[in-house]
Amino acid sequence: MAVTAPLGTVDPPDLDFGPTARHLTREWWVERRLVGIGLVCALATTALSISIPVLVQRVIDNSIVARDHSELALYIVLIAACALLRFATNSARRAITSRIGIVIENRLRATLYDAYLTYPRAFYDRHATGQVLSRATNDLYPIRYFIGWGVVQVVSSLMMIVGVAIVLLSVNARLMLYAGLTMPLIALLTWRFARLVTPLSRIVQQRKADLTEAADESVVGMEMVQAFGREAEVRERFRERAEGVRASQLREAGVEARYLPGLTFLPSMAIASVLFFGGRDVIDGNLTIGQFVLFNSLLLQLVWPLEALGWILNLAQRAIASASRAFAWLDAVRALPEPERPAQLPAGGLDVRFDDVCFAYAGGSPVLRDLDLEVAAGSIVAVCGETGAGKSTMLNLLSRFYDPDSGSVRVGGVEASALLKRDLRAAVALVTQRPVLFSLPLRDNLCAARPEATEDEMLAACEVAGVADFIDDLPDGYDTMIGERGVNLSGGQRQRVALARALISGARVLALDDPLSAVDTENEEHIVSRLRPALAGRTVLLSSQRLSTVSLADRAVVLEGGVIVEDAPPERLLRAGGAFERLFGDEVRVA
Amino acid sequence: MSRKRRVGLTRLSVYVRDQRSRIALLSLAAAFTSAVQVGGWLLVGDAIDNGIRAHDTSRLDLDVGIYVGLNALAWVVGSFLIMGLAQLGQLIVLRLREHLFGHLTTLSLRYFSQQRAGWIISRITNDVDALSDVLSEGLSTLVGNVLTLTGAMIALAFLDWRLALATMVILPPTMIVARWFQVRSHSAFADVRTRISALTAQIAESLAGMAVIQSYNREGAFRTQFRELNQANQRSNQHAQNLSSIFFPAIELFGVIATVAVLALGSRLYEHGSLTLGTLIAFIGLLSLLFQPLQELSELYGQVQSAAAAMEKITTVLDVEADIASPPDARRIERVEGHVSLDHMTFAYGREPVLHDIDLDIPAGSCVALVGMSGGGKSTLARLVGRFYDPREGAVRVDGHDLREIDLVHYRRQLGVVLQDPFLFAGSIADNLRFAAPDASDERVEETARAIGLDRVALRFSEGLDHAVREGGSGLSAGERQLISIGRALLADPRILILDEATSNIDRPTEVLIERALDRLLHGRTSIVIAHRLATVRRADEIVVLERGRIVERGSESELMAAHGHFAALARELAAPSAAVVDS
Repeated sequence: MAVTAPLGTVDPPDLDFGPTARHLTREWWVERRLVGIGLVCALATTALSISIPVLVQRVIDNSIVARDHSELALYIVLIAACALLRFATNSARRAITSRIGIVIENRLRATLYDAYLTYPRAFYDRHATGQVLSRATNDLYPIRYFIGWGVVQVVSSLMMIVGVAIVLLSVNARLMLYAGLTMPLIALLTWRFARLVTPLSRIVQQRKADLTEAADESVVGMEMVQAFGREAEVRERFRERAEGVRASQLREAGVEARYLPGLTFLPSMAIASVLFFGGRDVIDGNLTIGQFVLFNSLLLQLVWPLEALGWILNLAQRAIASASRAFAWLDAVRALPEPERPAQLPAGGLDVRFDDVCFAYAGGSPVLRDLDLEVAAGSIVAVCGETGAGKSTMLNLLSRFYDPDSGSVRVGGVEASALLKRDLRAAVALVTQRPVLFSLPLRDNLCAARPEATEDEMLAACEVAGVADFIDDLPDGYDTMIGERGVNLSGGQRQRVALARALISGARVLALDDPLSAVDTENEEHIVSRLRPALAGRTVLLSSQRLSTVSLADRAVVLEGGVIVEDAPPERLLRAGGAFERLFGDEVRVA
Repeated sequence: MSRKRRVGLTRLSVYVRDQRSRIALLSLAAAFTSAVQVGGWLLVGDAIDNGIRAHDTSRLDLDVGIYVGLNALAWVVGSFLIMGLAQLGQLIVLRLREHLFGHLTTLSLRYFSQQRAGWIISRITNDVDALSDVLSEGLSTLVGNVLTLTGAMIALAFLDWRLALATMVILPPTMIVARWFQVRSHSAFADVRTRISALTAQIAESLAGMAVIQSYNREGAFRTQFRELNQANQRSNQHAQNLSSIFFPAIELFGVIATVAVLALGSRLYEHGSLTLGTLIAFIGLLSLLFQPLQELSELYGQVQSAAAAMEKITTVLDVEADIASPPDARRIERVEGHVSLDHMTFAYGREPVLHDIDLDIPAGSCVALVGMSGGGKSTLARLVGRFYDPREGAVRVDGHDLREIDLVHYRRQLGVVLQDPFLFAGSIADNLRFAAPDASDERVEETARAIGLDRVALRFSEGLDHAVREGGSGLSAGERQLISIGRALLADPRILILDEATSNIDRPTEVLIERALDRLLHGRTSIVIAHRLATVRRADEIVVLERGRIVERGSESELMAAHGHFAALARELAAPSAAVVDS
């Protein structure tokens, strides 16, 4: 019985707060110089921001109200100087804090990306692509804003609060207490608002993604929609999704409508208190008119730092959540191990052996049970069987995308896990059923495995794989850009390119997984006839549902229930009355 | 903003024609909340001059009372305004989305083959989202700030024109800096979006192609490619942030300079007694209502620009006229009998005809097989029967009616189409089977699945037929996708069935199963089959050989084999590889 792979190595639980915070602090500490400069700038900005209203108060009390212009010019120069200096420090603070965030975001993304390149297939079987992508993109934004802007802003908010409190308390403690009463509510209200609105805006994004999906597939599948006359249903489905986006955005607007006007109202209450109590103090002579203005302007200057505290509190929670997921992967997910003392592949042709191989996908039932197969160097073996019989799994083991649960896979007499992965994979080329091409010129896609391949080698492979047959239809021939920004090749064309890519790679072993399934039967015949000589000297394992492709092989094996039930040349199996004949026999008799 | 762009955005007004009274009410509410902000400072000024300086506490209390009352009211009205604008904006977006999508469903295959799918999808998602950003998040910022800015300027001029003139000193530099920021940040943030989407696309592509990357040892090359994009993204972000880092502190600076100018002039005016202290303080307070909206509007400027550009691109889709549509007086064929006739029909995608003078009569209930080399026009012919294109000359008739004169949707609902590389929609396998027959019972779905051997495939998944199909059918083999699309067509209970290489990836035992099911379920229906397997072709009542867009041979299998013509040659060639296996 196969042992299932432990899920912890491909799907670890999120990290706890402690380790997450340690990771984040380590990232942050790398930028300590910038953080230091940022904090100095923040401190200077705060001090200057408080100084300007204080100087304005002096102008009002000492120059205007006193009708004494002797110091006016000095004050004005001082205020202008402060403002100019603040412009410099504040610009620097903003630029530096955003830089910290951006640098850390990009470094984390690079770390994740590098890790992704090493993660085993089992990891990608387990996680949806969108989720893996999101951790290296959208999930990083809370971290970026928290660690960059947030951390410095918390300090400067606190400095501003303390500074304003000291100045105002020293001017008139009683008025400060009255007028300042409503101010902490601003931070509280912002925090509650952020807490409510964050999940809602995530829902909005989700709904938008749903809508995009509906639009996407309807446009791509429009022919089917029109062919069955289902326009009305598809429109209705789209309308429902669009309605879903609207509903979620209105929910978000509902929260905004409840909280945002309050954030304008609260500061106005502070001003009203200053008017009411401060006005009386002025009348009673306990407060100058300049100090009255100072109260107003400093309290208004507190609004943003307080709101920022509310936002950052929420941001911190999201940043920790994102980081705990990302670091859990970085800490726990491991590539399939490389051997300590790697073996070398022998020169010349390579044979392939499966010995008592058992395999099950993580959490699934066994696919291969004690499978044995020997493929002599330079021979072609077709692996046949019904869909789901384990053909693709077998071919994947050959490139060591998975390790067998027990038994061994040998290439050239060496166990796959005893070789460096790059040596093994340089020797084994895998062609998958739905091949992926990259957004590169066709030429670069073809030579992806061996960029140094000569033009003649490339052209020869394209001739064999049938790429040459459609090359004239492409706008720039072999230099045509492939992908969304260029030409979208059909499924059959992609398969032909993938086949040529494998031929160009020069790999001594080819694993072809239903390589021509999307190629129309006529072109398939041509390709098969040219492929035979092109494969000479290479060891080939191929799977297919079509007899015409299978007929390429020297030997066919039929996979059923995880073991090989038939093994002989295909022409003999055709009349053997067994599994192979059931699969293909009818196709011949009618001809 | 250029005139052309304005034309783009004003086009949105058609979606709110029935909302005039709501718009009027919202405008009133917006005007009120802005007026309260401006009026607040005027009250402060009055409280200083007539309350505090005049030692009149009752006047002070009255001002404070009005101030608090107005602000409380503004709270309520503000809530109403945010909600109302959101509803209005969302209504526009919803109607635009429906209009655009509905319009797309009426466009013909000609449009979809000329325009790349990615481009069209980008109109309906990214561009509408750009509009949505302005209309949902931006609308209240836009309306509120424009009104507050205007109100503040009027109040400033009204309070004291001399101080207002002094404020003008900083107007030119402010305008220059704001303009600089608007232009630069618009392109800078557009660049950020381009960079991050390029980076996202690269990561997504790497993830999709991870098997290939790892299998061909391309990790290094991809890492390098990623590094470059990641660095470019970092630089672009930093550049955009630097612009903001200069702009916002700069506007702050201008605000202080304006205050200084007002103080300097104000002190003289006060000394001469032509200015009260309250007016001076109210004036300084109002200045903040000038600079803050300016900042927020400058930030929004880029978004509005993008929205206008997006609308322009959307318009290009909305302006495409549907070239295949039923006429208004279209005849409705309640039940198609299935007599298809192609009457001296010629068709061309571009200038060169793909089909020449095709004259073919398919009696109701019969099966016709189209064979021939690829590029011979078989699929095109089948598509003309579904009226995905109109012929250039001649006509396609069903039950004697020209397809151009009948209700197309109603006709197509009686059509079943299966293509070689079928498209599956997101949803379960059962959902896909039900695509053309949403009301089909579970029993019928299961029965159909069983009839074509799909139940066996479904066993592979723990949820059976409820297994979720993802991203156009990835995770399913080509054969399995074909099976599902055949089930889909069968469940639709079509009067005419078109099978275009529908079983090319299905193993022969399953194909036999399918043929039996077709025979049983489609008894008496017309079918048009395009296939390469001889076993499939020989079932047909008539075989038509197409070569370079012309019918070169037709007849039953035995007739054609006896004729030793095109078909006989083709049959030999098709049988060749299998025969080779048998003979060797």
